[in-house]
Amino acid sequence: MKRTVTVLAALLFTALMLPAASMAEEAYPAKPITGIVPMAAGGSTDLLARTVERFWTKYSKQPLVVVNKPGGGGVVGTEGVVRSRPDGYTLYLGYGSGHDVVMPSLQKMPYDPLKDLVPVARLSIHSVVIVTGANSPFNSIKDVVAWSKKEGKPVTTAVSVKAGAVDLALTSFGKAAGINIVTVPFSGGAEATTALAGGHLMIGGGHPSEIIPHIKAGRFKALAVALPQRDPTLPDVPTLREQGIDVATWGSIKGVAAPAGTPKEVIEYLEGTLKKVCSDPEFVKAMANMNQPIMYQGSEEFGKFIQQATADYLEIIKRLNITIN
Amino acid sequence: MEIFSGLINGFSIALTPVNVLFAFIGAILGTAVGVLPGLGPAATIALLLPATYAISSPVTAIILMAGIFYGSQYGGSTTSILLNLPGEASSVVTCIDGYKMAQKGRAGAALGIAAIGSFVAGTIGIVGMTLFAPKIAGFALSFGPPEKFSLAMVGLLMAVTLSSGSVVKGLIMMALGLLLASVGLDPISGKTRFAFGVIELQGGFDFVTLAMGVFGLGEIFTGLESAAKSEIVTTKVGQVWPTMKDWVASRMAILRGTLIGFFIGIIPGGGAVISSLVSYAVEKRVSKRPEEFGQGAIEGVAGPESANNAASSSSFIPLLTLGIPGNASIAMIFAALMIKGVTPGPFLIQEHPEVFWGVIASMYIGNVMLLVLNLPLVGLWVQLVRVPFGILAPVIILFTAIGSYSIQGQVFDIYSLIGFGLFGYLLRKLKFELGPLVLAFVLGPMIEGSMRRSLLISGGSFMIFVTHPISMALIGLFALLVLGQVLAMFRKKPLLET
Repeated sequence: MKRTVTVLAALLFTALMLPAASMAEEAYPAKPITGIVPMAAGGSTDLLARTVERFWTKYSKQPLVVVNKPGGGGVVGTEGVVRSRPDGYTLYLGYGSGHDVVMPSLQKMPYDPLKDLVPVARLSIHSVVIVTGANSPFNSIKDVVAWSKKEGKPVTTAVSVKAGAVDLALTSFGKAAGINIVTVPFSGGAEATTALAGGHLMIGGGHPSEIIPHIKAGRFKALAVALPQRDPTLPDVPTLREQGIDVATWGSIKGVAAPAGTPKEVIEYLEGTLKKVCSDPEFVKAMANMNQPIMYQGSEEFGKFIQQATADYLEIIKRLNITIN
Repeated sequence: MEIFSGLINGFSIALTPVNVLFAFIGAILGTAVGVLPGLGPAATIALLLPATYAISSPVTAIILMAGIFYGSQYGGSTTSILLNLPGEASSVVTCIDGYKMAQKGRAGAALGIAAIGSFVAGTIGIVGMTLFAPKIAGFALSFGPPEKFSLAMVGLLMAVTLSSGSVVKGLIMMALGLLLASVGLDPISGKTRFAFGVIELQGGFDFVTLAMGVFGLGEIFTGLESAAKSEIVTTKVGQVWPTMKDWVASRMAILRGTLIGFFIGIIPGGGAVISSLVSYAVEKRVSKRPEEFGQGAIEGVAGPESANNAASSSSFIPLLTLGIPGNASIAMIFAALMIKGVTPGPFLIQEHPEVFWGVIASMYIGNVMLLVLNLPLVGLWVQLVRVPFGILAPVIILFTAIGSYSIQGQVFDIYSLIGFGLFGYLLRKLKFELGPLVLAFVLGPMIEGSMRRSLLISGGSFMIFVTHPISMALIGLFALLVLGQVLAMFRKKPLLET
C-alpha cells in the first residue's frame, strides 16, 4: 500500500514536470499555465508569483502553476521560457529582474531579454533600500560617506548576488560618493540580510519585502532608497538624491513575460487577467502584508518601461565604468 | 509559566481532529519522500504549496509542511541502511555503519535504533525549542562568513577522516568532491565555471544526483558482478529489534547526537550535515572500540541519526524567532506563512501565538506518530533485503532516474546519474571511500563562498579567521585534529585514535 502511494506520488510529480503535449485547437486557456520563477522558492519573486497563483484561479478557468527553476542568477530558468513553445502555456514570472535589465549590459547572454520575450504586464517594483544594523553608528547616508572618507576605509556591504540590482545600486552609490564600497555577494537576499543582522558587515542592500521585517524587529535602520521617488512601502525613508547622492535606479522590476511569438490575443487575455488580479482587494492586502507595492502596467506600457529601464542601467554602468571581474 | 500556558493552548489547537489528520498526512508523506530516493522534502513541499491555499488556517498548512519536513528525516535513514543509498546529505554518514550492519544481517537493529534515536532526538529538540527558542536565536546570527568557513573546514576534516581506509585516498576523494562542486556558477563573481558551453552544467551538479549515482547505482553495478547470488545485501534478516546490548551501546550516542544536532542545527545552511559528521567523529573518539566503526558499529548509526533529527527540530528556531529560513524546506514553509499573511519572526509569538504554539505542539504529536508509524515498518523494510536482486535493481534504477529528473526536470541529470554510477563502480573497484567525495561536494560551496566573503570583508587579510572568537576556536580545533592525525600516522596507529 505504502509502496503504491509513493509510486503514485512519484508519477504524479513527474507528470507535472513534463511539459504537456500540444492540445487540440481550443479556446485559450485550455489547460493549466506554467509560470516559471527562475529564482529559489521563498524569495521575494517567488512570494509574488505564488500570491498571483493563489488569486489567479478566481479570474481564469485554468490554474497558473508556479514552478521554480533557480540557477545561473535567473538565466537558466528564463532561458527555459525563451526556448519554450510560444503558446501562452509557459510564462516567465519575474520579468525585469537584475538578470534581465542589468546583466545584459555587463556580460554576454544566451538570449536577448528584450527581443526574445514579450512583456505581458508589470506587477511590482522592488526598490533597493540601503540599510545598516540597529547598533551601527550610521544614521544617514552622509554618516556612511563621512566615516569612510575620514577613516579612509572601505565600507563592507552585503548584497544578494553579484551584478544584481542591489549590487549595482550600492556600487553606483560608492562611485558617486567617492568612497570605497566593497560589495560582498551572498547566495540570495535572505542570506545577505542574515549576515547583516549578525553584524558581520557595515551596511547592506535589500528589497523592502526582505528588510522591513528586520526593521520592525529593531535589527535594521533604513538609510536610503535608491529610486527616483520614495518607495510607497517605506514612505519615511529618503531617496539617495534627497541626501545629495545623484544615484537612482529602477531596483528590481517584477513583471510577467511570454516567449516571443506568443499570439496577441493570448497576451491580451493574460494581461487582462493580471489586471483583475492586481485590483482584487484580497490580493492588494496580501501584497501589502509582504511589503511589495503593486505597480501594474499593461503590456505595451510595460514594454516601453523595460526598454527605458535597461537603457538607464546601461547608462549608469557606462558612466560609472562598472565591470564584473 | 507563560511557556506552559502557551503550550497548553498549542495542544488545544494541534489536537483538533483536522490538525491531527494533517499532522498524520504530513508524517506519512514525509516518511514516503524520505524513503524514496531523490524526492526530497523541499520538492514535496513546493509541490503541495498550491494545495495549502485551500486550507484556510495557516496553522494547519504549516503543521502539514512541518510534518513532511521532519518526517523525511525519519525515512531518510531507511535507504541509507538497506541499500547504501543516501537520500540527503545528512544521511551520508549513516551509510557507513548502517549498511555494514545490514550486510551482517542486522538491518532491523540499525533501522530500529535509527527510529528510536530519531524520536528521542526529535522530542528533546522540541523540548529545547519550547524552552529556549527565543534565548538561543541569536546564536544563529553569530555565524557570519568567517565562522561558517571555519565550521565547514572542521566538517571537511571530519569527512576525510571518517573513513577507516587510507588518508591519502580520503584526501583524493575530498579533492575530487571539491572539484565537482566547483562546476557551475562562481558563488561570488557569478561567472560560469567548467560548463564547457553546456547549458545544463551552468547550474552545477546536484547533490542528490551525485549521491544516488556513486552510492546507489555504483552499488548495483558492483552487485551485477555477483548477481548469481541474487541478493543485494543478504537474505539474512536477523533479529528485527535492537537488543539490550545495542540499546546500552546507543543510548549515550543518542543523547550526545541530540545535543550536537540541536546546537549545530540552529546555524542556517548546512547545519544538519555538519552535525551528523561531528556526531560520528565524536562517537568514534569516545568509543572504547573505535576499530568497530566502519564495520557496523551501532553507535555510528544512533549518533548521526539523532543529530540530524535534532537539527531538523532546531532549524525551526531561526525561522520562528528571527524570520530567517535556514534551508530549502524551511524556506518553503516561510513562503507559505508569508502567503497566509503571517510574518515569521520575533513578533510571531505575540501576533500569532496560535501559529507558534500550535506548530510546536503538533511537532510533539507528529514525533509520536512517526515512531508508531516507523517501528512496525522496520519489519516491512527489512523484508526488502529479501527481494531478489534481479527485481530490486531495476526498481532502484527507475526510482533514482525519476528522482534525479524531478529535481530540475532535465534529462541531462539522468545521464549525469548514470555517469556518476559508473564512476562510483570504478571507485569501489579501486577501494576508494565515497563518503568524503559527496560530503566534500556539499561542503565545498560553503567553504569557498564563506572564505571569499570573509576575505572581501577583511580586505584580503587571513587574520579575520583568527580574530573572530568563534572562528578562532574552530580553527584551533581544526589544528588540534590535524596534529592528532599526523601524530597518529607517525605512530602508525589507526586513524583518529590519539
